[in-house]
Amino acid sequence: MNSQPQQNASVLITLESDIGKDGQYERRVLEVTASHVSVREDDGSASFKAPIAEIKSARNEPLVGGGRLEVTTKSGELLPVLTYSLQQAAQFSEAARGISQLARGEALSINLKKEITRCPKCKRLLPEKDGICPACSNRNKTFWRVAGYLRPYKKQAVALALLSILTTAVNLAPPRIQGILIDQVLTPQRDLPLLWLLLLAWLGALIFNICFQILSGRLTAFLAAHTSADLRAAVFRAIEWLQISYFEKKQVGAITSRVTQDTDRVWQFLAEGVPFMFSNALLLVGIAALIFSINTVLALCILVPIPLVAIVSGFSWQRVEQLSHRFGQKWARFHTNLNETLTGIKVVKAFAQEDFENNRFRHRNHELRDSGVRLDVYWFTVFGVMSFFISLGSLINWTVGGYMVYTRQITLGDFWQVHAYLGLLYGPMQWFAAVNNWFSRAMAGAERVFEVIDSQPEYYGDQTESTDISGNVSFRNVRFGYDKSNPVLKDIDITAGPGEMIGLVGKSGAGKSTTISLLCRFHEPDTGSIQIDGKDYRDIPLQELRRQVGLVLQEPFLFNGTIAENIAYGKPGASFEEIIEAAKAGNAHQFILGKPDGYDTMVGEKGSKLSGGERQRISIARAILHNPPILILDEATSSVDVETEKQMQQAIGRLIKGRTTFAIAHRLATLRNATRLIVLEKGEIVETGTHAELMAQQGVFYNLVKTQSEINEIIGTAG
Amino acid sequence: MNPSTLIITYQRGAVLCLTVPDVKSYIAVKPAWAAPLTRPGRYLALLDAKGDEIVLLPDPKVLLPASWKAVEQELQARYLTSTILTVHSAHEESGATYWDVDTNRGRHEFITQNLQENVQWLGDDHLLLLDVDNCRYEIPSVASLDAHSREIVEDVL
Repeated sequence: MNSQPQQNASVLITLESDIGKDGQYERRVLEVTASHVSVREDDGSASFKAPIAEIKSARNEPLVGGGRLEVTTKSGELLPVLTYSLQQAAQFSEAARGISQLARGEALSINLKKEITRCPKCKRLLPEKDGICPACSNRNKTFWRVAGYLRPYKKQAVALALLSILTTAVNLAPPRIQGILIDQVLTPQRDLPLLWLLLLAWLGALIFNICFQILSGRLTAFLAAHTSADLRAAVFRAIEWLQISYFEKKQVGAITSRVTQDTDRVWQFLAEGVPFMFSNALLLVGIAALIFSINTVLALCILVPIPLVAIVSGFSWQRVEQLSHRFGQKWARFHTNLNETLTGIKVVKAFAQEDFENNRFRHRNHELRDSGVRLDVYWFTVFGVMSFFISLGSLINWTVGGYMVYTRQITLGDFWQVHAYLGLLYGPMQWFAAVNNWFSRAMAGAERVFEVIDSQPEYYGDQTESTDISGNVSFRNVRFGYDKSNPVLKDIDITAGPGEMIGLVGKSGAGKSTTISLLCRFHEPDTGSIQIDGKDYRDIPLQELRRQVGLVLQEPFLFNGTIAENIAYGKPGASFEEIIEAAKAGNAHQFILGKPDGYDTMVGEKGSKLSGGERQRISIARAILHNPPILILDEATSSVDVETEKQMQQAIGRLIKGRTTFAIAHRLATLRNATRLIVLEKGEIVETGTHAELMAQQGVFYNLVKTQSEINEIIGTAG
Repeated sequence: MNPSTLIITYQRGAVLCLTVPDVKSYIAVKPAWAAPLTRPGRYLALLDAKGDEIVLLPDPKVLLPASWKAVEQELQARYLTSTILTVHSAHEESGATYWDVDTNRGRHEFITQNLQENVQWLGDDHLLLLDVDNCRYEIPSVASLDAHSREIVEDVL
């Protein structure tokens, strides 16, 4: 139990809700002591108080956008305690569980983990609970962590830094050469050999420059690609070890974007941002030093527009970014719309909705057009203003510098040098303001990647330990809920041994799939235990356990590869003969041979090139090759025709021999041969027995079978 | 079933009960809007304790005034969708958008994680925002907001 520290030691649970009595955003506090449940208003007054002794149970009533904690009294009265938003739903679920425990006279055993919703430093809301505050995250620390991925490529990184310094030095040479050329050859019109020598030096500088550029470009490509590949590999490995609950909370797209988009941002910054920043910073320092060495007054004058360029650039970049982002969003909406219409073109035509779709398309197309116009109009305006300031630098040089040349304060060569350096100086200035944004985005991406890498993985146990399982499974008083206060399985007791087939039966939401999910240890029981061969299954190394549990799902997942590869997924390194044997036992061999490429047939993405029955038989063959002592068939024979089902039943019959099998089937008739049927209703076992016994009992199972027969009859008549 | 004869009252604390005179009584009745965003105030379903529909009322105001009052009270408690009245600020940082708004429930701050996924246009002018916890915020008409709020919304979206 993890209760909050209290002023009053007897208070066991204290929780703040964010919805007031009249529905306004207000703070109210739930306080639970060993004797009472009470609610304290923000002004300190008590608005609810009920003795625990009079409470029978507590529950959470789901509302739209929140929930309500309610208690049922022993006299059957339902009392609303307080309302809360979804932000606090998990905590109030635990509170309800705690109140129920106290009402039953049990010890309080809940997990009231305090979730951090605001940044402890700047008090701003966090984008994810217990997550990172983008404003306060230490970007330098993140940068150095990213830079740590350069460690295996130290030599290349040092070489790149040296090359950048050399490139800058070489870049600064041509204007200097031009200055000498003007002052010592062109103006006095003498020393022709010096002209050739200087031109040769210029050519040399050009050749060096291009060589350095090619080399540093190649090195950058190597470093950025390797670093981001290493980062992708690290995040993918971390994702693989994450708990299933992480995948249930996050959308696949959001997880995928950590591996693709976020690492890509880091890559882009490393490949383009870092070299840009480094080389241009060196260039700026070099140019400023050289201009000041020529004439301080002139240098100060021509540098006047630089802050203006920096200010315009700084102000406009955020807006440009915003408009670009919006343009990107419009593109995505346009793309989704187009994709949807073309994918569903048959439906569009069948319902004669061409005009409707055309209007939708026009709407999206106009949105995209207008967004593009806004972006370009803004960009060209800003670019024009910046170009004006850049030209101003040149004008100042001609005005002040021209006057200085005329009054012989500087030479014409000096003037020309400054002019040439200005060209080099103002170009990068336009983009410097973007670098901060670039850096922020890359570091935010890196932080999201590191967040996954640092997430708590599943507990795998000692991977070196090997356990042979014979298949004796027992659920002992198992209770489990995704939402802890709302258990979907209650007091489940099941035992099964090798050679037995247990059929799990019940309506949707009865808890069949959750039972299977617990057996695979995708989740663990909240209370009670699952034992395998008399040992708590949490003591068996996780991969070892899963290796010995075979799964055949309703929608079998095949990977894009050949049929042989997909069957062999159940036993890496299996010989071709073993694959064929498994396919034969799975009644798949015959249809595989009927395909032009046989076992080398590519199944397509998720097995899309095969029929449902074919995919299913491959998955059975995969499970046969896997040879697990415990087998799970989750609606394995649904959604196939009768003939295919017959073939699959034969295959399943061979598959389950000698194994402990748990089967869920929508068609109840397919469980006729089960050793025992377990009928679940609202998370509880209501009936147990053989098919014949349960039919004779005329209870829940009998009614389910009867309803199904009636439906089949209706369908048959309609057909 | 004639809606204007239905008797809906609170009984035993917070339990809403429905009586169809001379036919049947239902306890623990839940009112649920069939299309709360696109057809507000219309099509109200009354569900029994199991969640099965007892009756669908295209115009719930045909209920007896006392019944409608009880239903309205329950609806107010059940729908925690806030209506945004004024937008003080909204700015984006690292993909997340931070909002500071005045709603019908008071001033509130929240974050929308991804504008693409968490902002739904329910019409040309009607917006639904979902924050990181899936709490809901509605702007029934962007055009009806004050100029400053409108500018912010248009700027962000």
